[in-house]
Amino acid sequence: MLEEIKKIENSFLQEIERVKTLEELEALRIKYLGRKSFISQAFSQIPNLEREQRAELGKVLNATKEKIVFLLDEKRKTLSMQEEKIDLTIPPFPVERGIKHVLTQVSGEICGIFEKLGFIIIEGKEIEDEWHNFEALNIPLEHPSRDVFDTFYLDLPPISKDKGKLLLRSHTSPSQIRVMKKMRPPLAVVSPGRVYRPDKVDASHSFMFHQIEGFCVDRNINFSHLKGVLFYFAKSFFSSQVKLRFRPHYFPFTEPSAEVDLSCILCEGRGCSVCSYKGWVEILGCGMIHPEVLKACKISPKEYQGFAFGMGIERIAMLKYRINDIRLFFENDLRFLEQFYEV
Amino acid sequence: MKFSLNFVKEFIDLKESPQKVANLLTMAGLEVEHIYREGHDWILETEVTSNRPDWLSIVGIAYELSALLRRKLKVKIPRLITKPLLKEIDIIIEDKEGCPIYLARLIKGVKVEDSPSWLKHKIVACGINPVNNIVDITNYCMIKWGNPLHAFDFDKIEGNVYVRRAKKEEKFTGLDGKERILTEENLVISDERKIIALAGIIGGKNTEVDQNTKNILLEGAIFSPVRIRRSRRAMGIETESSYRFERRVSWERLKIASQEAVNLILSLGGGKLYGCIEKGRRPQRKTRRIVISLPHLENYLGERIPKQEVKTILTYLGFQVEKVYKEKLCLKPPSLRMDVSYPVDVYEEVARIYGYDRIKPTLPFIPKQIYSSFYQFKKVLRDFLISLGIKEIITYSITSQSLLEELKEKNFIKISNPLRQQENVLRPTLLCGGIEAVKHNLNQKAFSLKFFEIANIYFKEEKSYKEKANLAIAFSGERNQAFYLKGVVREVLRFANIKDYSWVPTEKANFTNALDIVKDSQSLGFLGKIDSRLKEKFDLTEDLYFAQIDLEKLWEKREPRYFSPFSRFPVVFRDISIALKEVKFSQLEEIIKKEAGNYFKGVEVIDIYQGGKIPPQIFALTLRVYYQAQDRTLTSLEVDAMHDRIRKILGEIEGVILR
Repeated sequence: MLEEIKKIENSFLQEIERVKTLEELEALRIKYLGRKSFISQAFSQIPNLEREQRAELGKVLNATKEKIVFLLDEKRKTLSMQEEKIDLTIPPFPVERGIKHVLTQVSGEICGIFEKLGFIIIEGKEIEDEWHNFEALNIPLEHPSRDVFDTFYLDLPPISKDKGKLLLRSHTSPSQIRVMKKMRPPLAVVSPGRVYRPDKVDASHSFMFHQIEGFCVDRNINFSHLKGVLFYFAKSFFSSQVKLRFRPHYFPFTEPSAEVDLSCILCEGRGCSVCSYKGWVEILGCGMIHPEVLKACKISPKEYQGFAFGMGIERIAMLKYRINDIRLFFENDLRFLEQFYEV
Repeated sequence: MKFSLNFVKEFIDLKESPQKVANLLTMAGLEVEHIYREGHDWILETEVTSNRPDWLSIVGIAYELSALLRRKLKVKIPRLITKPLLKEIDIIIEDKEGCPIYLARLIKGVKVEDSPSWLKHKIVACGINPVNNIVDITNYCMIKWGNPLHAFDFDKIEGNVYVRRAKKEEKFTGLDGKERILTEENLVISDERKIIALAGIIGGKNTEVDQNTKNILLEGAIFSPVRIRRSRRAMGIETESSYRFERRVSWERLKIASQEAVNLILSLGGGKLYGCIEKGRRPQRKTRRIVISLPHLENYLGERIPKQEVKTILTYLGFQVEKVYKEKLCLKPPSLRMDVSYPVDVYEEVARIYGYDRIKPTLPFIPKQIYSSFYQFKKVLRDFLISLGIKEIITYSITSQSLLEELKEKNFIKISNPLRQQENVLRPTLLCGGIEAVKHNLNQKAFSLKFFEIANIYFKEEKSYKEKANLAIAFSGERNQAFYLKGVVREVLRFANIKDYSWVPTEKANFTNALDIVKDSQSLGFLGKIDSRLKEKFDLTEDLYFAQIDLEKLWEKREPRYFSPFSRFPVVFRDISIALKEVKFSQLEEIIKKEAGNYFKGVEVIDIYQGGKIPPQIFALTLRVYYQAQDRTLTSLEVDAMHDRIRKILGEIEGVILR
């Protein structure tokens, strides 16, 4: 009997070596441990045996059975693990993701930086009147300073005589007027949105683009604050390494006025094609709000003073991501949209 | 403006390198855009802001450098000669507003020939082509002093000279050879019979100075900036001369420039000064005085600049510091600086020369402001749509009238001065942008497109107009996206927590199977599939499913959100396979809701079959009805009984076949 058990065990050991699948393994289990198997049969014969034999046979049978069970389990684990093996050189499946348009990302990031400083976001209107777009901003009619603000006019009757013709705003500065007319200082506001100018479309011009206007008015807001706020913005948005240069300029709605140049982030000021070998790229216009602008909003320039700034979102996005054609923003090609991730 | 550095050096000693000079000017507000070498000279190309016409002259630039470098100028002013009086002709200014002053000098017996090379070089370096000695001299004086001058061939002038408005449709041929039909906006110089110049803009071909010219009438004048602007815009032309007049030229330098031109003509072209005439005069003006307060200056710039430095800066800029009271300065600005009239203008002058870069940056204290904004709502909605796997697009607000007519849109707003016919109206629907974006990507062989845009639409409304923020969702792909689109729209409504709305089938131009989303009998928006006519019109290779939702209404109707308790007892479901002929799912849903009562948890369509073995007009559906009680576990017996009853009731409806 014991010899037979040994034989069974040996043949099991040989057979399990040849097993390749879980099905075969199951067949093997049935063969050796099933109801009709030798081992099961042997167990059922134990009660018929002599007492001494019983103990010994029982011991051997149990040991053999345990061994088989153990080996079957081991084999099952090995076989299962083998099944997991697939060709992982197959490329990953495409995963669809929602994406914010890069201009929304950049605009949101810029607004977020100013929000940290305590600015709030209020949008203006795209259809504006001449008063808000020009006169209130100290841009007189028939003045060369209007030339940079070529404007689309609309076939709408004026809302009131003193507000002039209706148009598509050519900059976000009228938001300044709208907010200052409605709310009293202290004020710190950024206003993003679409603006329109009759420009021929090419790689760097578009008849529609985006700007962010920002302004801050209180009793003691000064030019040094303007510099501080814009330094904070540029360092947060680009990098802590960037330098800014405030260059005197002229805007009818600010005095003193400045254009702000950023040390070229591509060549770090050494000169390259992006900065036309100047080492600096212009990123925004700013200044102290002109007293006439405050007056137009019924805010006394004797009591209050403030600064304002405005920047083009496309320009900033193009600099940040080295995008070379403004038309890409409005073509909405997936191969463009999918390149950007919010950070 | 382009200028020669050697020319500037005639008026101020410069030891600094050209790059240093360029940087000094740039940092003072006269941006030097390009700088390059030309022989022994350096050429600087500048961008002159419209407030600084004084920078449109070499002398003006020298003045600026003198203030920046605190260095003396070497500008020689010629002695002014105003005799003998011109008797041969008279000058009559008819439009005194358009031309407050007009000077003329008659020089006889000149020889017109090529300019000497020094003169040629100078004007060429400043971007002006040489013509002949006489014309070149007028240009030289314009570049040097900033005042445009003009020379007529005196013998071609018939009778007296008039400064007047053009009559409607009068014709004029300029020195550029172009014939222009004038309007009453144009200010002209004419003689008894013809127009001899478009005042301040361009001279006439008929009185051009050429090789045969012997006698010259030299014009110097002030023309009204607004008049010149209107006149040149009406003609669509801009010249060196109009550019300067439009930005104001100096009264003081007019006579100087004219005198220098006379002197040069006499020395280079020969001839004799025969007569001088001056018509009109400078209007009386109060002398400008500006009082600035040093503490205010400090509070405005956030930088303390010592009184002595302020005074030095202003003095070098040509300001007269007339009085000093304690912390106040009374100033008389230089006459050339028409742009300085407010104390803040003086602050800019001080800051500019002191150096913007020397002002220390500081952060202001900004008190916290409380606000809730529509912007924020749009922002979180955008984030929400992105979380659903949809991509944001930004499309043009301006489109073409022909496209909108194709879309059967009305009440759109037109642009009065469009650049092109492709962009001449404001869009009253976001559909145009959606179609463009989908079409572009389908053509690039990208499929399965899921886009959204949050933007304004614009339309006319009785005597007024509206500009309204909307959300557009556009899906396209091989599969039927109708129910997916409906699902996304439902998510948006859930996002805003809109309750008790209904989907109302509607007829909508450009769409088939359109649904209106109705809340409180107002439409919040719609969704649908664009019809085959439009699909063909735009050459779309796939179907386009589109929804547009009025975000202002959504914002207005949104409701506060509170936690609602849910039952933790098990949900049980049973399926019904059913075929429908002219019966709508919504009818079944109503019955199921009513019959299941409090145990109704929901009903879903888990499968739709159409076509194949099933006859047309018949939809085969598998419905899954969910049952749940709030307070206990439903037994299967209970559910079976309820479900069988519902099945039976549904089966009795005409057009419903149980399968």
